Amino acid sequence: MSFEWVWTENNLQFLAEAFLINFEIALISMVLALALALPLALLSISPVAPVRLAAKTWVDIFRNLPLILMILFLALQLPDSLKAGWQDNAPTWLPEALRSQFVLAGIGGLVLYNSAVLAEVFRAGILSLDRGQREAAAALGLRYREQMRLVVLPQGLRRMVPATVSQLITLNKDTTLVSIIAIQEVVRSGRILAGTAGNPFAGGSAVEAPILSVMIVIGLMFVVVNFALSRISRRLEIQQGRRTATTEEAPPVAEPAPA
Amino acid sequence: MFELLSENLDDFTAGLWVTTRLVVASFVVALVLGTLAAALRVAPSKWLNRAGAVYVEVFRDTPLLVLLFISYPGLRRSGVEIGAWTAGIAALGVYTSAYVAEVLRSGVFAVAKGQGEAGLSLGFTQGDVLRRIVLPQAARTVIGPLGSITIAMIKNSAIVGASIVALPDLLKEARIVNSNTFQTEESFFWAAVGYLLLTVTVTVFFRGLETRYAVRR
Repeated sequence: MSFEWVWTENNLQFLAEAFLINFEIALISMVLALALALPLALLSISPVAPVRLAAKTWVDIFRNLPLILMILFLALQLPDSLKAGWQDNAPTWLPEALRSQFVLAGIGGLVLYNSAVLAEVFRAGILSLDRGQREAAAALGLRYREQMRLVVLPQGLRRMVPATVSQLITLNKDTTLVSIIAIQEVVRSGRILAGTAGNPFAGGSAVEAPILSVMIVIGLMFVVVNFALSRISRRLEIQQGRRTATTEEAPPVAEPAPA
Repeated sequence: MFELLSENLDDFTAGLWVTTRLVVASFVVALVLGTLAAALRVAPSKWLNRAGAVYVEVFRDTPLLVLLFISYPGLRRSGVEIGAWTAGIAALGVYTSAYVAEVLRSGVFAVAKGQGEAGLSLGFTQGDVLRRIVLPQAARTVIGPLGSITIAMIKNSAIVGASIVALPDLLKEARIVNSNTFQTEESFFWAAVGYLLLTVTVTVFFRGLETRYAVRR
């Protein structure tokens, strides 16, 4: 197995820049998914039964479907006007890969799936909070909204930080799936480098780059970044254990399901 | 909507069956490799512990899609005659084994330390303590987490069909139906129903196991 291609021309830089696209997609999707997950979680613990049921059904369906199914569906089914509109009007300072017409489907799928997963994490975080907290807030005369905003959420959300970071690891890996809908992120770039993607504009490397060694290098890139993230997550968990241990017995927040 | 299902029922059931076999086979691989990795992590040697930790970290942090590219075109182009099924099962199995190892390890650590010490002081050997005292108790605490791993696996199995390995699984069959009928919404809807059917079945199964065997701590 030959790794000579790594040091040839600017192959490594080519892959590293593509890897950055994955990270950007992950961050954008994470921010949007978090923004969507909070209202979803609040609706799924709503005191109004029909609302609660609807929100829980939504969350349970979308966190139990394969992410790639959503991405492929959106890629096929988003209206052409929307896809073309993005391709034509996306800000030019965005990297070229992110101006592809399929980016909306890719990020849309990632957000749909991850907002459901995170909503469940949030819900568990909120429910793990001692009931007495809410009851005390109610006894002090706070309304439902105030109980949530001032008492429950600040504590519940803090508990979910480690689980959210570990979900970011999963999300990071899942960004490679958008290569299947022809967004040029790192896996697709790797295939171009190995000459298996048949891209007319990039004829592969001058030195032969076997797909096996290209994919091993890409895998290692993910290991480096995700290992750092899992270290951070672990540290946050320990810190949290320390902070909450003295005040109450904190049941650990459920980790998001492995994916 | 039901028309599409009845007219293409053969394709959908064939896909569902491929997905089921893929998941079951990969689960067996994941369980075997995961148990080995977990054994390394709890073994009484620092080097074995490290090897286990590296195994878990590497395969948990690498995208499944990359593993599939390694196991199928990667190996084939290096002269290894590996089939699509073997490659798909190996990648999904190895990927999942890292999660299984973590669950098993924390299951072993969840068994109170006194249990093992009591066993040792009664004259059991280290191996007997593990086999007769610690593992049976650990097995009960890991049922729930193994259930969520299986569900994640069902979802991940769709990547095998959508990737270059292209096994004719449920999602793949739905895409074929779609390209024949141009009824995208219906095709994907029925694929989604199939996946939910599988995840619900697994959830019910593991919940049953849990109520039967699990210990509340």
